[in-house]
Amino acid sequence: MASTADRLSERRNSVIPDIEALPESTLDERGRQRFCSALRRFAIQDMPEMLHKDFDHRVAPARQSEGVPLDDALAIEDAMEGEASYRFYSTLRYNAQEMCFQSVQEPIERALPEMIDLARAAQERNPAGGSLRLDPALPVPDYVSQLDVHLTPGCFHKEWVADDVAQGAVVALGARVFSASMSHRSWGGVAKVISRWLKHERHEFAPTRMLDIGTSSGKNLMPYVQAFPGVEAHGVDVGAPLLRYGHAVAEHEGIPLHLSQQNAEALDFPDGHFDLIVSSFFFHEITVDATRKVLAECRRLLRPGGIMVHQELPATCLVDAWEDFFWNWDTEHNNEPNYTDFRAQDPAVLLEEAGFEPERNFAHLLPDLGAYPDRAEAFGWNEPGRPRHGKGAWYVFGSSLPS
Amino acid sequence: MTDGAGETPNTDVKLPRSSKGARSRFFDDPAIDQMMTFFLELMAETNALRERVDTIERLLDEKGSISRDEIEAYRPDADGEAERSAWSQAFLKRVMRFHEPD
Repeated sequence: MASTADRLSERRNSVIPDIEALPESTLDERGRQRFCSALRRFAIQDMPEMLHKDFDHRVAPARQSEGVPLDDALAIEDAMEGEASYRFYSTLRYNAQEMCFQSVQEPIERALPEMIDLARAAQERNPAGGSLRLDPALPVPDYVSQLDVHLTPGCFHKEWVADDVAQGAVVALGARVFSASMSHRSWGGVAKVISRWLKHERHEFAPTRMLDIGTSSGKNLMPYVQAFPGVEAHGVDVGAPLLRYGHAVAEHEGIPLHLSQQNAEALDFPDGHFDLIVSSFFFHEITVDATRKVLAECRRLLRPGGIMVHQELPATCLVDAWEDFFWNWDTEHNNEPNYTDFRAQDPAVLLEEAGFEPERNFAHLLPDLGAYPDRAEAFGWNEPGRPRHGKGAWYVFGSSLPS
Repeated sequence: MTDGAGETPNTDVKLPRSSKGARSRFFDDPAIDQMMTFFLELMAETNALRERVDTIERLLDEKGSISRDEIEAYRPDADGEAERSAWSQAFLKRVMRFHEPD
């Protein structure tokens, strides 16, 4: 058997190239991607403000003078859906969503054989010490297979060839166009926000084993390994192409991730296996029934003294009617049919049903790293000037177990 | 391709360009939804052209090796002509990106 030093040296000498650098965009493709980033930003940042103004100044007064109450999201949607402002806002958002993913498909098609070879090499050699466990027999749940979520053609799970990574690349690189971070690796923002807050809240907290649910390609798992050195980092997802792609990225980065293809409603880890469980942008994609099962699994898997933090979209009961209306656009138009139902749940009730103690449950807005470089502390819901989720803050809910 | 090969060849994959699920409509006349897609795709193409022009201008600034007259007078050879024709056809297909029928 080789010595530890030999094994480390062997790993160091078998560097996995960067899979994200393989799809090379032409000058024209880069020009289109740049437009898609700008279009998406305009549609999601600028247009909602114009829309809100149109509602406050024109639509709402006219409705109210007719005695129509506008006190919930449905009433606002009813008032807005025929308005030109809302139609153009919607068509820009919808087209931007389609175009972001389309803008990366051609470079990915050209690079695909090379990307697959690289991902195979990463799986064979695991130079960073991570692992990839796939289960081709795992049934893809209906809430993933019925619609192409986020208008990503092929969704998270479709495989077009053996050992495919294409959807992993489309989701990851499309999201980069989507969030206008084409030129640098700015991923993992949520994980950086949550780990900063955890260190602030619990100085002594040093997880030894953690789990990221619906990890996609592990972008919001990797930063925890840097924040908590030595943590054994596990990620689960149903999408094999995402996991193969994420495994290749992590092995290139030298970050050991243990990724497995599993449905989070029933995981194969033993009870009390993790002292930190996280997720990001996950629960609103699954049914409320599945949410209850996943939270019960989290309760089973969390060890005494452990913490669970899920980043999500703020619940209806925590936002005003306009913000509620704003978030629910995706339910009908972004192929996320469970989005409104998830947000309608009170996180405190969901957590209590899953067996967490009410006094240990929380729902917070955490400060974004870019907007608040010096603040780790959560915002109070009534704190003057507190930012909204998605505009300087990230909504999280979760709980912890007593030691 | 050989019969009975265990492995699917991983070349020439064509990813789907439209998503599973009904496409949302936002206008009373669906032609306007389609026009908006044409319009935005055309903007993307304009953006790409702008990026190319910007590249040429920057190269000119740096190198100063070509002139506007030369650009005006430039005539591509047969291969260059064919490349341009192919680009024009692809451009048209990209901008006239019709939605999948419901």
